Amino acid sequence: MTPTRRYQIAFFAMGWLIALGVAFHFGLGSGLGAMYRRVASRLDLLGQRASDVEGSALTQVRRTSRREYLAPMRGMLSSAAALRNPPQTLFGAYDGGFPSDTSGLVQLEDQLRFRFPIISFYTAWGDKPDQQFPWRMVETIDRLGSVPMITWEPWVTDFDPSIRTNLPPKEEREYASLASIGKGDYDFYVVPWAKAAAEFKKPIFLRFAHEMNDPYRYPWGPQNGNRPEDFIAAWKRVHEVFEKMGATNVIWIWSPHISMPWFEYYYPGDEYVDWVGLGILNYGSVANWSRWWSFHQIFEKSYDTLAKMKKPMMICELGTLAQGGDFLEWYKQAFYHIDHTYGGVRGIIFFNQKNDTTMSSWPLNWSVIQDQQASELVARELARLSRR
Amino acid sequence: MHVWERVLVAVLIFLGVQSVAIFGVWWFHLENVSNPFLFALLSIATWYGIFRMFVGWYNFFHLEQPDHVDAPPDLSVAIFTTSSPGEPYEMFVRTLAAARDIRYPHTTYLLDDTRDPRFAELAREMGAVHLELVGYPGAKAGKINEALKRTTEEFILVLDPDHIPFPQFLDRVLGYFQPDPQIGFVQVAQAYYNPRQSFVARAAAEQTYTFYGPIMQGMHGTGTVVAIGANCTFRRSALESIGGHGIGLAEDMVTSIRLHAAGWNSIYVPEVVSRGLVPSDLDSFLKQQLKWSRGVHDVLFQEYPRAFRRLTFHQKISYFMIGSYYLVGLTSLIYFTIPLLYLWTGAQPAAIILAEYVEHAIPVGLLGLLIYRLSQRWLCDPARERGWHWRGTLLKIGAWNIYLKGLLLAVRGISVPYIPTAKERRTAATFFAMARMPLAIIAVSAVTILATIFKRLYLVEESQVRMTTEATFAMIGFVLINTVLMSGRLWAAWQDRYRKDDEEML
Repeated sequence: MTPTRRYQIAFFAMGWLIALGVAFHFGLGSGLGAMYRRVASRLDLLGQRASDVEGSALTQVRRTSRREYLAPMRGMLSSAAALRNPPQTLFGAYDGGFPSDTSGLVQLEDQLRFRFPIISFYTAWGDKPDQQFPWRMVETIDRLGSVPMITWEPWVTDFDPSIRTNLPPKEEREYASLASIGKGDYDFYVVPWAKAAAEFKKPIFLRFAHEMNDPYRYPWGPQNGNRPEDFIAAWKRVHEVFEKMGATNVIWIWSPHISMPWFEYYYPGDEYVDWVGLGILNYGSVANWSRWWSFHQIFEKSYDTLAKMKKPMMICELGTLAQGGDFLEWYKQAFYHIDHTYGGVRGIIFFNQKNDTTMSSWPLNWSVIQDQQASELVARELARLSRR
Repeated sequence: MHVWERVLVAVLIFLGVQSVAIFGVWWFHLENVSNPFLFALLSIATWYGIFRMFVGWYNFFHLEQPDHVDAPPDLSVAIFTTSSPGEPYEMFVRTLAAARDIRYPHTTYLLDDTRDPRFAELAREMGAVHLELVGYPGAKAGKINEALKRTTEEFILVLDPDHIPFPQFLDRVLGYFQPDPQIGFVQVAQAYYNPRQSFVARAAAEQTYTFYGPIMQGMHGTGTVVAIGANCTFRRSALESIGGHGIGLAEDMVTSIRLHAAGWNSIYVPEVVSRGLVPSDLDSFLKQQLKWSRGVHDVLFQEYPRAFRRLTFHQKISYFMIGSYYLVGLTSLIYFTIPLLYLWTGAQPAAIILAEYVEHAIPVGLLGLLIYRLSQRWLCDPARERGWHWRGTLLKIGAWNIYLKGLLLAVRGISVPYIPTAKERRTAATFFAMARMPLAIIAVSAVTILATIFKRLYLVEESQVRMTTEATFAMIGFVLINTVLMSGRLWAAWQDRYRKDDEEML
């Protein structure tokens, strides 16, 4: 057979070969995927064990650990009931480097001479390995002595259509996704996640489908045909699943966008919510749609409505950019108003993201420690308020 | 090759190409690229490896064996074999005797510059013509070109003096010249009689098995067979049309690329009709490899661009594939550096999710291994040569710095003095001189691992330690693998040392 002849045959066989190849690789890929999923939890466990060995070795050598700093609060931090109605203001932080890099958190805590009882991070729904229950992260936060706060984002398009054949095609999924969640279409994902959360046993703050009333941001917003009653149905469904799985260690934060009107219509009801959450981020003059807002200006219109729900309030994202106003003054006023105006606020999470590119093409710096004086002020306030 | 074998090979290669395509789409859409420069380096190393795999597949796909043609009577045939100062006399006794016993009528010429009267005497005894050729450039090639001027035979077999030809040698190759006047040379397989002599000999032999098996047969299928210094039979008019045998460190490759560029065709006969010596000690192996690496890079940078436009489509591809073989020195350096860099600075190419890597890389690896093992049915001597060839692989990785040196010398245009491949064991090199590179890698690895443990116990923040356990252990694992990969070179050096002692005691 000459090479030319061989290429001719190969060309005509191409159609069959492609079909065969696609079937072969689809089979092999999903087989390998399934095999990996079967051992994935064991691998995670192995990683956790190794990490614990390393961690205990270093705490022995150094005779100190982060967990020790938080020992006085241990009683409260290990009780979900106490955390639903804490006797003191709780502080926390999110860092942009999570989960691979924790140096940002370390830097923040060193600068503020403080160890945060809550560590906040974000995780999306989906079929990828990093979209399953974040075991390594929550266990590590626990070893470090803190309580995890998870902002849980229902990105329904991240489910693989080849495995999830009962779901509509990707491009149709986002429309009315909350109604589908409410009907239980996504229980295949919620159930194992809830089961894992229950297995963790220790308290977890869960902030599900935040800013659900903002039509400009997330796919679960009203722009996709998600009505308030759909959100409530989804919330109740997810909450029920967690109840059923025995995940009573989960503390529920309902967290609307307070600058958008009528957020109160999204409230699922007192028995489904433990905390009311909100975000206070001042974009200053970085964009044409923004201007310098003080803490008070952002909060004042919605505070009374939120207070009516009679739940402790958590500022789940607190921060300001430096552009367009007085950075130090912003924080000074914020703490003044927390003391004097907004007594319902019982939790504050610092948004320590130094390279935020979600709303702009250039990175925005939300970190409070970019300013020496502001860091000093916040350090003093943290020391004072956590004693209260 | 049966039709069903062809179909199986084609299907497997198609699946392999498809798996590489899927891997490629994933690789170049990685979201978690942490350090673009390191990622570029890692991509070069990874895709070079995949490219080498493609080289194997490409040749396997085109595998073809020539149909034997009986040699017509009364061709005029010369056998050239060369001798240089320092080469052992006994070797020529055997080689010239074997050349005399080749059945097809021929004249043997000894191209001699030893100035040793015993060699002239030996030639006379063995019925060979002795040509005293002192002072010609380029070692072997210079003498061959001078001998061409002094002889008239139409076909010339260039026989390496460390090879013992079998009596049927010429009968198996001469027939191919007759039906097609455009055939410029016929190359036969190379095989060795001393692979059991030492680890290095076994490893060096293993490195050639696939080449003389499916690869060269594939090159036969695409009309790109190259001349390999030893045991190539040339048509005189072909050699004369390009001004004689090429000169350089890879003179065989220079000769074949020029012949191909001049329009001559070539034949590969996958038969063992002679057996030779493969380097059996590390020193001579490394010298040989440096020579080849430097020479092949020269061909890639100088001969190849010059000949490019006159080569056929497949020859353009094939010479590039051969010319880039020794770039493995560069990619090995990348593989060694990346885990060390991570452990010292924390810089990494990309945060690759293990599950995704498993899903995309395993099909490529599985198909690669499957096709490799299947191709071993077409080795020249499957019973003896089949296997995973781990010794050859280890020694190839262990010689990475030599390949890199060859590349750098070629880039900077610095020449390596012509060193004939040692036919006898060298004994001058001591263990430490031969093992400097692997010992350095082992030392750097050990220091890195100890420093990492120390840093993580005393200096790195607790939270950072707890979150980076898996990544750090994985990188320590890679460092350890790199250390283990040095074991072949180290073992070879160690064996050399002992052999030296043995011989001194004798």
